[in-house]
Order: sequence, then structure tokens, then C-alpha cells
Amino acid sequence: MTLPAQLDRIKAEAITIEERSPFQVVMRRFVRHRLAMISLAVMAVIFTITILAPYIAPYKVDELNVGNYFVPFGTVDPDTGRTHYLGTDNIGRDYFSRLVYAGRISLTVAMLAVIISETIGIFVGAISGFYGGWVDAILMRFVEFMLTIPTLPLLLIISSMLIRNEDLIPIPESVLTFVGRIMLLGPRDTRNAVLIVIVLAGFGWLSAAQLMRGTVLSLREQTFVEAARSLGASNSWIILKHMIPNAMAPIIVDASLGLAGFVILEAALAFLGFGIQDPVPTWGNMLSATQQFMFDKPWLPLISGTPIFVCSLAFNYIGDGLRDALDPRLKL
Amino acid sequence: MAAYLVRRVFQAILVVFISAVASYVLLSFAPGGPMAGLRQIQQSGRFKITEEDIARIRAYFELDLNLSVRFSRWLIGEPRGPLVIGGKEYFGDMVVGCRKPIEKEVLNARGQYEIQVTGCSEIVHLKDITERRTSRGILLGDFGLSWRLLRDRPVSDLIASRLTKTLQLIGLETLFSLIIGIPLGIYSAVKQYSKFDYFFTSLAFMGSAMPSFFFGLLMILVFCIIPKNAGFPYIPAGLSESVRNYTIPVIGQVVAGSVKDRTLHLILPVTVLTIINISGWSRFIRASMLDVLRQDYVRTARAKGLSQRVVIVKHALRNALIPFITIVVFTIPGLFAGAIITESIFAWPGMGRLYILALGDYDYPVAMAIFFILAVLTVIATLLRDILYTMVDPRIRLN
Repeated sequence: MTLPAQLDRIKAEAITIEERSPFQVVMRRFVRHRLAMISLAVMAVIFTITILAPYIAPYKVDELNVGNYFVPFGTVDPDTGRTHYLGTDNIGRDYFSRLVYAGRISLTVAMLAVIISETIGIFVGAISGFYGGWVDAILMRFVEFMLTIPTLPLLLIISSMLIRNEDLIPIPESVLTFVGRIMLLGPRDTRNAVLIVIVLAGFGWLSAAQLMRGTVLSLREQTFVEAARSLGASNSWIILKHMIPNAMAPIIVDASLGLAGFVILEAALAFLGFGIQDPVPTWGNMLSATQQFMFDKPWLPLISGTPIFVCSLAFNYIGDGLRDALDPRLKL
Repeated sequence: MAAYLVRRVFQAILVVFISAVASYVLLSFAPGGPMAGLRQIQQSGRFKITEEDIARIRAYFELDLNLSVRFSRWLIGEPRGPLVIGGKEYFGDMVVGCRKPIEKEVLNARGQYEIQVTGCSEIVHLKDITERRTSRGILLGDFGLSWRLLRDRPVSDLIASRLTKTLQLIGLETLFSLIIGIPLGIYSAVKQYSKFDYFFTSLAFMGSAMPSFFFGLLMILVFCIIPKNAGFPYIPAGLSESVRNYTIPVIGQVVAGSVKDRTLHLILPVTVLTIINISGWSRFIRASMLDVLRQDYVRTARAKGLSQRVVIVKHALRNALIPFITIVVFTIPGLFAGAIITESIFAWPGMGRLYILALGDYDYPVAMAIFFILAVLTVIATLLRDILYTMVDPRIRLN
């Protein structure tokens, strides 16, 4: 190689930036969001604890330590040598163990609700945006209609009806066993939880559908869709392979904010008495149970309230970080 | 504009109607209700309740009528009996319900006994219900009678006494949110990237992530229980006024039911609602101000040599408030729904708490009435928002 050619190569290298995949770009931006990273770490810890619930929790969910009511933090049970890290409740159940299992249930409910609602939202939005015309008109009128109904009151009506009449919606046995295995619950208690998931998801897909429709509407005019069509791609192929992957950015953000929303909403329903019912622990119903004892034992609400707040805040920060990383112009 | 309005009003009526039907049907499927307890008493054998008694009670609660007939009577107060045209009765023999259903216990697929209705031994015809009391229908403001909470008293009495309490909360909440939230948002936007802005935005972010029920409990802990136990001045929580006189250190004796007492009880719930509301509204104001401050006409105003104050108040704020107005209008029905949780925490005797009580106590006429009111409010607010949107910003076209 001659000297001038070498020089040219060095110059060229100097002005070329290192090549990065879109994924790397997004990751770099996400990592820079400090609070989102902290939140991710916090959530990783919480998820690990809840996944390992049977190994971490010293007591079973409904194990009663008879006679040891409201024992203080860190009391060691003299008979078995196990520790009540956060004390016990009014009938002698271990707070820490219940909190861990409750986390498993609350987070599973939120995750399932997000998965179902985003899936429905993606498909409804994609179909509505892609086909347009009367399909779009009907679907979007329906979404608008659902959005005009006051959500919380209707949610309360529906769940108050469902928890008293659990057989109203038939749920396949296989679904119950599957969800029951994730939540470590028996089939009967699982039915209650699955019904709450259905209720939450039934109202959660609206924003995802609207987001998806908007994105698909703008994608429809792009040249790569035209290219795919000229190559003979069918509508379903274009939707599945071109529209949905390209519209994922806002959906991912919506999903992580949705997790925060569902954790709070599930807890709120349980708090008001229309969610998952007492023997099954959730953060919400544990919090509502502490209400009557808080005058003498003011620390009790903090035990089950803190994880709700921490999860909600963490999911919100993660969503914020993802939004900044995926599309800086994006504003939800 | 007129055509658009007509269409929107028509849509709004449709939405109200459909949501009323949906929730009525849902609640009629809910078990419990006045009959469930009766069946248990009958089975326990402590009281003798005959079939005739049950039929009478069913008729009293209109449970013997078909769902559609019941709904129509609830909504518009009709049918009250056969149609009378020119002195002649029509449809008198139309079947509208069943007074004594034949019930059979059957073993269902999951191995449990269920009661199944297999037939009817005494049919109710339209001509049989002329003697019954009927509400005038909720469309005319008659919400019927309460089943449980205040038995046989009109639901509207129950709601009227609670409505003022809720309006008190919501009115104060809106007022304080506006007074505090708007200046906070403006200041934060004007001083973007300052220490205050960072502090404020992260606080507002946390506020919007904070579940209101947990926040409410925290406030009770921090301002009521802990100082009370420690012997410091505290703010009373729970109910809207206390039952007997009490003494607060420093403040002194408080007479139950006095203005002082009621004001003290208002502080905590209003604070909780206001803080949560502010975190949303002021973030919106901030974003909207930042948007406007970047505009050319603001730069022009600055270039003309106008003072910072005039630029912000006259040129920026007025334009930033346009989208905010619509947000405020739209959140107002949301405030009623939000009050459900806060009222439950503070045992505030308002509509939200009444709603929870009614749902928990099977008092469905009350629950339905409140839901209907909320639905109407939401729909009106949506309509208002869309109309306001176009009125304040002529660039948005109606279609």
C-alpha cells in the first residue's frame, strides 16, 4: 500500500463512527437514565425474591402461629427457631412470608393483565389502523365509548359481581392450573385472581389500541410497506412482519407504565374490598386489613404499602427511561 | 357546528344509555340481594317463611318481573300497566314476569348443587302490576327506593345528603389545585433546568406514581396518629365531624359539629386529593408552558423589550392555558371517581363511600343511581371538553 492510500484509510477511520445496532443505541440511552437503572435493579431484586418465595419465606402463606399476635420485628419463634422478620398480624400469620407470596400474586396479576391487554390492543389497533373504513370506525367508536365510561366505578361493579358469582365466566381448567402454579394457589383461589386479571385487562387495552392505531396509520404510508406489497406480501404478513415490529416502541413504553397502573389498580380494588379476597394475600388486601389496627400500631400500613409504592414508582421510572431511549421525540 | 353538536349529543345519550343497561344487567346477575338472606333463614328453619311470603317479598323488590321490564320501569317508569287508548286496554295479557318460579336443585358439572328455574307456577301479566308503586324513572330524577342502607327511603334523599359532602371535597380540591398548581407549573417551566425545577419535577413524578390509598394512610399516620400518641397538636381524621367534643393541644377545646371541628376534618382529605391532583395538573402546565415559551411570538415579545412578567403572563400563559382548560374540564368527573378511594380511607360520608357501601351491602338501587350520575357527568364533561377544544383553538376543525 502506498503512503497516500494509507493516509486516506487513517483519515477515513477517524471520521467514521463505530457501527452500532439499533438495539445497542437504545441500550446505551437507557443505561444513561440513572433512575431507570436503579429501578430496574430494585425490580430485579423484588422479582427474584418473589420467584424464590417458597425458599425465602420462613412460614407458609396461611400458617398461624397461635398465640403470637402482633409480635415485634425480628422475633424468633422459640419452638421452631424461625424468625418473624416483620412480626405477625392479628391472627399470628407471618408478615414477611405473606408479603413475599403477596408480591408473587400481585405482580403476576399485573403482568398477566399487561400481556393480555397489550396483545388485544396491538391487534385491535393494527387491524383498525391498517384496514381503515368501517372496521376502523366501529372499533374506534367502541374504544371511545369505553373511554367515556367512568372506569373505577364500573370496575367496582364488575368485580363485585364477579367475586360473588365466580362461575359466571367459564375459565378452562388448564388456565387455572397454569396460573395457579405461577401464583402458588389452589384452583379456587386462582379463579378469583384470574377474574381480576380479566377485569383489569378488559379495560387496559384501550390505550394500547389507540397508540397502535396511530402508529400503524403513519407506517401505512411508508415506502417499505409499499415495497412489501409490490413483492406480493399479503395483508396479514404485512401486519405481522412489518407493522407490529415497527410499532413496538410506544407499546413497550405503554406496557411498562401499564404495569405500574395495574399494580395500583389491583391493590385499590383489594383495598376497597372488591379484589382478591383475604386468605389469599395481596399487597392491597394486606394494607386494607392493617387499617383497623393502625391507631395502636402505626407501622403496620407501611409494611404492605411500601412495596406497592416502590413497584409503582420503579415501573414508572423504567417506562420513562424506555421512552427516552426508544424514541426521544415520543410523548405519551 | 350544529350538525356536529347534534351528532355528539346523540352519541352522548347513547353512551349513557348503553352504560346504564350494561351496569343494570351486571348487577342483576350478581347474587346476594334481598333474597339470598331470606333463603338462608328459610333453610335454617328458625322462622316459618312460606312460599307466599317469598313471592310477596320478590314482588316487593320487583324481582318477579323480567329483566327488560324491570329495567324499563327503572329507567323511565314504564310500563305501569296495560296501555290505555280511548278507554280500552291493550297488552293486558302480556307476560311480564313470574311470581312463583318452580325451582329445582340440580347437581352441576363441578359437583355442586345449583338452583335451576325449570318453570313458573304463577305468571305475572301486565294488568297485574297496575297497583304497584313505581318510580317515575331515573331519567326524571326518581332513583327509586333504597333496599338496605336506608330501607324504603328514596335513594335521592340518601344521595342528596351525601352529595354536598363530596362537592365540598371536590370544590376545595379543584380550587387549591388551581391556586397552587398553576403557579408551580409556570415557575418550574420558566426556570427550566434550575434546582427548583428538578426538585419539583421529581416530586410531581413521585406524586403521580403514589397510590392515593397509601398516601391517605400515610397522611393519617403522620398528621393524626403519631402526633396524637405523642401528645402534640394533631389533625383529626375520619368522618366529616366528630361525635363528641375533644381537646387538641395548643388549639384547645373543639366542640363537636362546630365550624372549627368541620374545618379540621376537611384538612386531611382535601390535602391528599389536592396533592395528587397538583402533581398531574402542574406537570401538564409545565409541559404546555415549555412548548409555548419556545414559540416565535414569545421571542418577538421579548425582542420588543417587554418585561419578563408581561411576556410570561400575557403572551405565554394565556396560550398555555388553552389545552389546560380542557384537561381540567375532563378531570372533574374523574375527581368524583377518585373521591371513592379517598372517602373510603377517611370514612368521609360522601357519594364515593356510599357507592362502596351500597355495592358491599347489596343495595343495588343506590349503587346504580350513583353509577348513572357518574356516567352522565363523565359524558357531559367529554362533550364539554371537545366543544371547548374547538372554541378556544379555532385551528381544530370539527368533524
